[in-house]
Order: sequence, then structure tokens, then C-alpha cells
Amino acid sequence: MKMSKILAVILVAIMLVACFAACDQGGKGDNDGNTDLAGTYDITMWVSEKDGVADQFKQQIAAFEKANPGIKINASIEGVTEADAGSKVVADVATAPDIYCFAQDQLARLVQAGALAKPGVKAAETIKANNDAGSVAAATVAGSIYAYPMTSDNGYFLYYDKSIISEEDADSLEAIIAACEKNGKKFRYALENAWYTASFFFATGCHSTWTMTAEGEFNAIDDDFNSAAGLIAMKGMQKLAQSPCYDSDADTFADAGAIVTGIWNAGAAEEHFGANLGATDLPSFEVDGKSYHLGGFTGYKLMGVKPQTDTKRAAVLSLLAQYLTGEECQLQRATEFQWGPSNLEAAKSEVVQSNISLAAFAKQAASENCVPQGQIHGAWWDIAKVLGADAKAASSDAALQTALDNYDAAIDAVLSMSDEAKQAWSVIGDICGSNWDTDFPMTADGENTWISEVLELEAGKQFKVRQGAAWDVNFGANGVAGGDNIVVETTGKYQVKLVYDGTTASIELIPVE
Amino acid sequence: MKKQNDNKIKKTGLGAKASRRISNAIIYFILIVITIVWLFPFVGILLESFKTETNMQTPYLFPKEFGFDHYVKLFTKTDFLKWFGNTAIMGVATAVLQTVFILSMSYVLSRLRFKGRKGLMNMMLILGMFPGFLTMILIYKVFADAGLTEKMAPLGLIIVYCASSAMGYYVSKGFFDTIPKSLDEAARVDGATRFQVFYKVIMPLSKPIVIYTILMGFMAPWGDFILASYLIHENSQGMNVAVGMYEWLSRTNMNTHYTMFCAAGVIVAIPVVAVFLGLQKYYVEGVTGGAVKG
Amino acid sequence: MKRLSDLDYLKLNKWQAFWYKFALFICAIPSAIWKGIKKLGGFFKNCGVAVKDEFVDIGSTFKRGNWAVKLSFFIFGFGNLFYGQIMRGILFLLFEIVFIAYMVLPSGGVYWLIKGNWFKIGSTIGTVQPQKNVYDPITDQYITIWGDDSVKVMLYGLLTFIFIFAFIYTWRLQVKQCRICMDITAKGKKIRSGKEDMKSLLDDQFHKTLLALPLAGILAFTVLPIIYMVLIAFTSYDAAHDGYSNLFSWVGFEHFNELFNFGQGGLGLTFGEILSWTLMWAFFATFTNYFLGMFVAIMINKKGIKIKKFWRTVLVMTIAIPQFVSLLYVSKLFTTSGLIGRALEQIPFIHDWRLANNFVSLWDSPTVAKILLIVINIWIGIPYIMLMATGILMNIPQDLYESAKIDGASSVQQFTKITLPYMLFVTGPYLLTSFVGNLNNFNVIYLLSGGNPIKGTAGGASVGHTDLLITWLFKMTLGSTESKYYMASIIGILVFLVVAILSLIVYNVIPSTRNEEDYK
Repeated sequence: MKMSKILAVILVAIMLVACFAACDQGGKGDNDGNTDLAGTYDITMWVSEKDGVADQFKQQIAAFEKANPGIKINASIEGVTEADAGSKVVADVATAPDIYCFAQDQLARLVQAGALAKPGVKAAETIKANNDAGSVAAATVAGSIYAYPMTSDNGYFLYYDKSIISEEDADSLEAIIAACEKNGKKFRYALENAWYTASFFFATGCHSTWTMTAEGEFNAIDDDFNSAAGLIAMKGMQKLAQSPCYDSDADTFADAGAIVTGIWNAGAAEEHFGANLGATDLPSFEVDGKSYHLGGFTGYKLMGVKPQTDTKRAAVLSLLAQYLTGEECQLQRATEFQWGPSNLEAAKSEVVQSNISLAAFAKQAASENCVPQGQIHGAWWDIAKVLGADAKAASSDAALQTALDNYDAAIDAVLSMSDEAKQAWSVIGDICGSNWDTDFPMTADGENTWISEVLELEAGKQFKVRQGAAWDVNFGANGVAGGDNIVVETTGKYQVKLVYDGTTASIELIPVE
Repeated sequence: MKKQNDNKIKKTGLGAKASRRISNAIIYFILIVITIVWLFPFVGILLESFKTETNMQTPYLFPKEFGFDHYVKLFTKTDFLKWFGNTAIMGVATAVLQTVFILSMSYVLSRLRFKGRKGLMNMMLILGMFPGFLTMILIYKVFADAGLTEKMAPLGLIIVYCASSAMGYYVSKGFFDTIPKSLDEAARVDGATRFQVFYKVIMPLSKPIVIYTILMGFMAPWGDFILASYLIHENSQGMNVAVGMYEWLSRTNMNTHYTMFCAAGVIVAIPVVAVFLGLQKYYVEGVTGGAVKG
Repeated sequence: MKRLSDLDYLKLNKWQAFWYKFALFICAIPSAIWKGIKKLGGFFKNCGVAVKDEFVDIGSTFKRGNWAVKLSFFIFGFGNLFYGQIMRGILFLLFEIVFIAYMVLPSGGVYWLIKGNWFKIGSTIGTVQPQKNVYDPITDQYITIWGDDSVKVMLYGLLTFIFIFAFIYTWRLQVKQCRICMDITAKGKKIRSGKEDMKSLLDDQFHKTLLALPLAGILAFTVLPIIYMVLIAFTSYDAAHDGYSNLFSWVGFEHFNELFNFGQGGLGLTFGEILSWTLMWAFFATFTNYFLGMFVAIMINKKGIKIKKFWRTVLVMTIAIPQFVSLLYVSKLFTTSGLIGRALEQIPFIHDWRLANNFVSLWDSPTVAKILLIVINIWIGIPYIMLMATGILMNIPQDLYESAKIDGASSVQQFTKITLPYMLFVTGPYLLTSFVGNLNNFNVIYLLSGGNPIKGTAGGASVGHTDLLITWLFKMTLGSTESKYYMASIIGILVFLVVAILSLIVYNVIPSTRNEEDYK
């Protein structure tokens, strides 16, 4: 953006602030009366692409306008599947819609890309008070809420054919497999999708938790898939995957005797199973005489607001998002589309309690092996989904173990750099025969001081000092962050010394005899 | 197919007529098999579109009951008509502009000799080897700034399709190469300018290649998915048919929209096939004339 | 290798003759490479000489030019105006004014060049980072103040560089024209007027008129973006440094190491595997189509076969139907619940094999998936080749066949001695372009297998057994949220090098490309 534009933005911001300050003097403590926000707003929105969703949103926006006289909203609404709305937003934040709905696994990436505006303090309190704890956690990165929870139903459970599988059998993986094999039906379970693969691992008590910084960057993982319990999970998975009735394609119902899928297929399930439709939580599987209840992710769908440069507009969008994710709107969606509400009041309603699919989801979500889906590194999905294929292909326990070892190695590679390595300083340049592609390490030499090994530097060669072998933090001539290269004046043997206290840096060449 | 030839050698003893009859019978058999294999997907899609079920891969080819539900729904409940219109506009515009670009380039390279001609041809050959879609990353940013994405994506796409189209000059250059040079020379001797030679002598002889180029330009936007989806950025007003329809095959939609996808596929195929079959004669003349040298 | 005389060659039997030719082809490769290198060397030498000549010429022009010529060194088009070429003069002058204005205006050329920190390794491209989530306590809202966008800073910088080159070129051009005007006037001849200039654009200079638009298009939409993408390879442009929410920096050759690292964390092995499958795919896809398409054409064109037009139309239908419809449908046919997959399931051998390997569908086996791709590609490709071959077959002089028949040649011999050599000769360049096309055949792989079955992850994206380099690039950039644009750019450069070298070799070895005036 051009300097002039930034200036203009700052000016406008100052003017607005002054304006609001003036209002404050008029005796209004906060923004409850929306008269200040009156105006017409052209906004763009992405909501689920399912039939009728966009229309319902339009009606809800009309209701919002009625409730907030003076605010006029011209919304253009597009249908975009929540599963990858996030990746489409980060492709170009500048032209992204003002409000968009996304599945919560994309939150971290969106925060990193600066594509989400934090709700204000009051709005955050409202969100916390009115939604279930899991959904609030799902909208939180490093302690701050970044989005508005919209549904609490993004998980999987079991649909089955009552005519071949009894209610009792539906509790046991082995019984379901046997019934499907006997009747020549398929047991559809997308084990080659990490989201589903994880269910077996959670069943045996494994966990995989990522943590991230406030900037939305992942910095650690606590993962024990590669363990004795993990091996049991692999064995369980192998049992299903090597059965002739297994099919990893759970997007279709063809021939299905049982299928593990979610609420989005409620309509298709009714169509396929008809009167024989059964829905319940996931079954248990047995390995070495012990039984494990399949776990899974419970996921959420969130509504995000794109960062605005104008406070007034930001306030309106925030109000709108709060309204659209409020009790009334969530209940409307539950009634019409069977979307499970994250709003506590809406979840208690009759509509939600009596729905067979939502009940099955709730039952599964209540299982202790069900994990609210936190923030997960994008690469994990690709790495973990290989486990399903591996379990299917494995012919021995050793092969299962190898698969877990590979998984472990791949996870490590994602966070290839330890914290220590990320903090480490180094010298880099066209020095010592390298060409800006080799880091010469520096070691700590007292507090706030680092010193390199002895380097032979030729006159005229250039270098810089950087941290973590990346250019995010680096110092050049005169200790300027991101400044010009330092030029060696006379040829000789030197040690490079850096003094950096977190704010100012100085770099010194110390000649060595 | 090798076998067929072997058979023939062995059976030379049978007399020429009999052997020809046998080999012809074998050829007919192969051609019929080919016809079935080649038409199978089209018939399959057509039949699928008449099924009343909405999910995918119902395990039978023929619909249990014929229904036009999907076609009705397509035009009443979705934006399909808009997408279809967008694509048709893009098809026509691309056809016209691309033809101008390609014909200019190929005519120049085939008939005129000037400094840097060889270098120009080499440059275009080399440029064609770079993975093209990487360039989209930049083009997208520029277009987004210029307002040529989302709603206006069809315009942006027309520009993308046409701008570099001259690099595909090979077939039409091959065609121009087959027109005897003596025609030009005779006209030049009579005092015609190069423009007049182009306009009055060569163009009238080039009907097949002109139509071939128009045809290729018209067809390109119907199948483009990757570039289009990038520029359209989910705006349903700016979609072409491919991008709009692809959404129906997403994980959450497949079970409710699969057969509708097939119905839309049939409707998309109708204009393209119609135009194509109508002009097939020229297409064949163009490609055979051009490819000989291309 | 010793070349045989024609007489000796005729004595060889069929197989010997074939191997002899094959050996000749192989032997020609090193010399072709050597020739290519020599050509390249010669090219650079010529360039050097040309540049030197230019400078000498500029010097002498200034020395012997009159005052008008000398002044046009500083004021564009002055010489043209002086010698009466009003239109050219004004255009040149206008160009100079626009250029200078663009460079010095605020947020003009100089501004962008400085912002870009060009080629300073370790410096960000653009200077102002965005301020995210700035809290405004009065409205209780967080707003964002956006900073520079590295992508745009780099683009405007690049455009400025191009503008500078254009400026230098134009400066040289108008100086030269001035000198020519001076020389012509000195000889007492008349200088071409603006009107004549315009006229010549439809005659002598007709190529300029015709090429203007297409070339401008290629420059703006192919050359410029390619230069840009090459530059990306030297930056840290990826998901975490997307230029908009976080500026990216110049890093030099650092990331090339990542690609050539064959150990853990490096992409070397994956790259090698994908490259080898890509080459294999291109080879099979090209040649299966080529030969089968040719046979189909021969069959349809055989004397005595009726309704030729019908057979052709059936095949041509596949060209007319958009690939994304037909290919998506076909790919579903081969899954276990698809029609063909189901039919194959009835064959006990395939059923058992599938179960033994725990493949859910045929697409799960890397080998079978690859074979399926090649087979389905035949379905797509044959019609094109069939059409082309039809045209070529019609062009083969019939008297060749007549005389062969009189000599008692069988139809097999007619094919190997007349049809095939003729086809190969004429379609050599086509084979090359279709090979290159198949190396980058995105649609078929993406729509049929999507690169699956999955092999592992590399470069921030999952990689499958059937991924080509081009689909891998796609996954690495537009198809993933962990985009590594710099890596995609590096691989793009390498793909380009591989393809360019391959085609240079082929071009220098196959006969029909050597001289385009040969065959008329």
C-alpha cells in the first residue's frame, strides 16, 4: 500500500476516534445505542453452499436491520464450502469477504495470515458466556478469541442399517464388520483421511496436541501416536481395513451397511437407509481382549470477520456477526438444516434434542475419547492420513511399527527446528567461500552477547547477522534491523561479536592474531 | 493390431479377395469395439442425468425411472444459466480475439521474412516449456488490483486466454506453409502491398484454418477449471460452468448433486458438440493441413 | 562409429539395418549436445561483438554528428524533428517526458526501486509491515493498518527495470535514426515522411503491424510473469511470508540447498522420483497415442471400409466434450463402486488380487493407477492423432504404393518402408511438442487420479505416486495452505531446464526440423 494511503487511513482513524470521543463527552459510556453506527454498508459474505443457506442468511440480515434501525446492510452472499473457505481466504486476504464461515481447523492459518479481526473485549465476553466451552476453545489462539462460534456439530458418528445390524451389534466394531461381510454390504469409514484416522488413536488414549504462538505460528507438538497404545490403534485399524467389507470412500452411500460420517450427510443417510436408518455413537473395538471405544474429533464451524481499517465498519460487522451466531439464528439453522448449535440455550431446545443425527453426534461427543479439535498444523493432516493406508497394507506388526516410526519422523521434520535452534544467532554472507547460503554459528558469550568462531574475512566481502537461520530477525551495518550489509574493510582473521538486548543491537569485528 | 497384419501374411494363400474380406471383417470388428468404448462415457453421463436419484454411482447403467428433475432444478434453483452465459460469452470473445492473434503471428512467421524471425520462433518454443500456471500467481495479483477478478473474472479470463495465445501458432503456420508462395509473388509483381496480399490472396484460401482456430478458441473456456477457479475466487456471478459445477462434486455435496452434475455436463456438451460437428469438416482440413508441417 | 557406404547398408538384413540406424541416432546425441553448446557459445560471442559495435557506433555518432544529432543525445527525437520527421520526433519526446515523470514522481519508479531493496540478501521486499489488531478502546474494536505488499513492490520494481531498459533502447534507436537522417541528407536524398512511414506499415513493415498485438500479449502475460517467477526462487515467499500480512525477503540461493538435499527434510529424493515418473509418463503417453492413433487412421482409411465419416465422428466426439466432465466421470467408473470397477470385480483373479493387497479400488495400487492413467489417456489422445495421421496418409503419393506393389511388397513391408518413415519424418516436431505437452499434462492427472495413491509429504504438500512435477507444483502453491512459492519456482526453473535440454537434443537429431524450407 502506498504511503499516502496509509496516511489517509490514519487520518480517517484519528477523525473517527475524535468523533467518538466527542460522543463520549455527550455522556454515553459505550456503544449500546447504535445510532452512531447508522449508515449503509456494502458487505460481502461467504456462507455454506448448501441449498437454502444463503437465503436464510438474507432473512436473518433483514431481521438484524430491523433490530438495529439506522443500519442498512447490502450483503452479497456467496456459497463456499466451509471446509476450505479458509484456504481460499488466505489465497488473497485483500479481496476476501468481510464475513465468512469456516471449519475451525483453518483458524491458525487464518490468524497467521492476518485474515481475522479479533472481536472486541465486550464481544469476546459475550461469546464466552453464551457458547459451549469446546467451541470457545476452538475459536481461541494463544488466549485470544478470534472468531464467532456458529455450530458445534462438526464430527462423525455411525449411521447403520437396522435391518442387518442390531442396536447391540452397533456397539462393537467386530460385530458390524461381521454383519456387513455376511450381507455383502460395505462398511464405509474414511481411514485415509486423518480426521477419521485419529479416531482409533484417541480410542487407545493417544493424543496429539499442537501449541502455537500469538502470531499464529506452531512451535511445539505433544504427540504419542508412536507408542504401545498407538500400536494397538494400528491393529484395530488393520482389523477393519483388511476386511473385504471395508471401503475408505465415505462420501458415497452405495451398498453401505454402516458408514462413519457426519451431520452433513443426514439427508443422504435418510435417503439411503430409509426406514432402517440407525444412528449412534461410534462402536468399540477389541485388541488382545481389551475393548476400546472409538474416539474422534468434535469440530466446530466458526464465523470470521475480515480485519477492517475503519472502526465504524468494524463495529457494525462485529455486531452483525454476533447477531448471526446468536441463539435465535442458530436455532433457525438447527430447525432448517440440522446444524447443531454451539449456543448453550439453543442446544437445549426441543428441536435439537429430538433430532436423531444430532443426538448421535451429542452421544459421541460426550464420549471421553472425543477430543475437541484444537489448532492443528496443516501438514499433520497429510502426514497422519498415511497411517490409514499403512495399516491396510501392513502384513505384520513390524510393518505397523515402521509406519508409526515414519509418522514420528515426518512430524519431527515439520518442527525440524528446536526452540534452541530458532534462538541461535549466526553470521551469513559471501564470506569464507560461501555465497549467502551457509550459516556460521555464534555462541553465547555472557549476557546479551554472542560471538562467532574465528573467520577469515577478505576486504570488500559482505555479511549480516541473523537469528534462527531465517531472515525474520537480522542485523546489518550499525546494528540496524534489516539494514544494509556490513562490509569488511581489511582482510584478516576476525571474530564477529553481537550485542543485543532485545531492542538495540551492535555488531563488532574483533581482529584475531 | 499387429496381429491383424500377421494374419494377413499367413492367409495370402487364400487369394486376394478372400483375404481382403477377412481383414476388412477384423477391421470392422475393431472399429465397432472402438465405437463402443469411445461412446460409453457419453452415453453413461446421459443416462446418469435422467436418473431420479441424486447420489453418485448407483450400481446400474440404465435409470430405474426416467426423470427430468435435474434439468428443471438446474435452471430454476441454481445459477447454472448465469454460468452458462458467462462461458458462452467467453467462448465467443476468445474465439474472435484468439483467431486474430494466432493468424497474425502464424501468417507473419510463414510468409514474411524479417530480421529476428528465427529468434522469435525459438523464444516462443522456449517460453512454452515453462510451467505456465506458475505465472498465474502474479497475474492474479495484478488482476485483483485492476478489478478483473470475481464478478469481472470472465473479462479477466478472456484476456488471459487471448494474450499469449499467439504462442500456439504451430498448426496454422503449417497450414499457411502449404499455400504456394508463387501466389504471393505474382500478386506482388502486380503491385499489391503486403497487406493486400494477406487480405485478398491468402485469406480467401484459408477458410479451413480460420474456422479451425475459431473452433479451438470457442472450446477452450468450456473446460478450463484451474485458472478460472483461481480468478473467480468463489463469486457465483463470475463463474464459468466448470468452476460452478466442480463445487457439486465436493465432499459435502456429492451425495446430493452428483446426477445434477451429469445433467449440467450434458447441457454443456450440447453447444460444443453441435458447433464442433457442424464445423468438423473444416476442423479436419485445418488440423490435417496444418499438422503436416506443424 | 563407422558409417557404412550405401552399398554395404543395403546388404544388411532388416534387424541389422534397424540397429545400425538406432546406433547412428545414439551416436548423434553427443555431437548434437556439443553442437548445441558451441551454438550457445557462438551466440554469446556474437552478443559480445554486437554490444561492442554498438558502443563504438555511439561514440563515433557523437563525434561526427552535427549539433542536432548531438542534442538528440539528450532530447529525444530532436534530430527527427530537425529533419522533418515530425510524428516520430513527437513520439520520442513524449516517451522521454513520460519516463522522467514516472521515475521522479512520488510513488513512481525511484520510490518502488528503493522500497524493493533489490538483491540485498536478508532485506525485506517492501519496508512497512502491517500492524495487526490495533485496539481502539473507544469503539472496542480491533482494526488493522496494512503495510506494503511484497508481491506488488517486487512487481512495480520489475516493471520499472523493464521501463529503464525500454528507455535505453529507445534512446539508442532515436540517436541512430538521427545519424541516418543526417547521412541521407548529406547525400542529398529525401527522408521518408510520416505518411510514408504509415504506409510502409501495411507493406514493407507489415510484420510489425501484425506482430504488435500478439507480441505485446506474450510480453505482458508470459515473459514478464516468468521473469517474476524466476525471481521468486531467490526470496522467502511462502505461506508464513505471504508479502501481505508478513513481508518476504531476498534470500539468494539458500533454498536451492533444500531441493538438492537427499537426506531427511530435503526434497531431493522426492524430486527424483517424481521426475522419473514424469518422464516415463510422457514417454508412454506420447508413443502409445502416436502408434495406436496411426493404426486407427490406417484402418479407417483402408480401401473398402465404409462409413469412414461415421467412425471419425465417433472419435472426434471426445475432443468436443469438455474434459472435466468426461474425465471425472471416467475416473469414477474405475472405483469399486463404479460400473467398470464392479465388472472387473466379477473376475476372480482381480478380486483376489485386490483383496490380497487390501486395495479399496484399482486407483489404490500405484502400478495399476499408472497403467490406468496411460490407458485412459489413449482414449483421450487417439482422436487427435487419428485426424492428423489421416491428413498425412492422404498426402503420401499413391504411386509409391503402386510401384511397391509391383515389386511384390506385402502390406507390412509397405507400412514399414513407406508409411512409417514418411509419418516419422513429417511428424517429428509434433512428437516433440506432444512430449513436452505430456510432461506438463495437468488436466489428465488432476482430474483422474489427483496424484493419488498417497506416498508421503514433501514441500508442504502431500505427494502421490502418480503426481507429475506439474501437479506437485500445483499442490505446493495454489492447492495447499502451506504454500511454498519459492520452492515451486525453483522446481519450475528445473522443469524448464530439463525440458529445454531434452528438446534441444531432439531438435538437433531428428531430420525434419533441421530445415523448415525443405519440405514444401
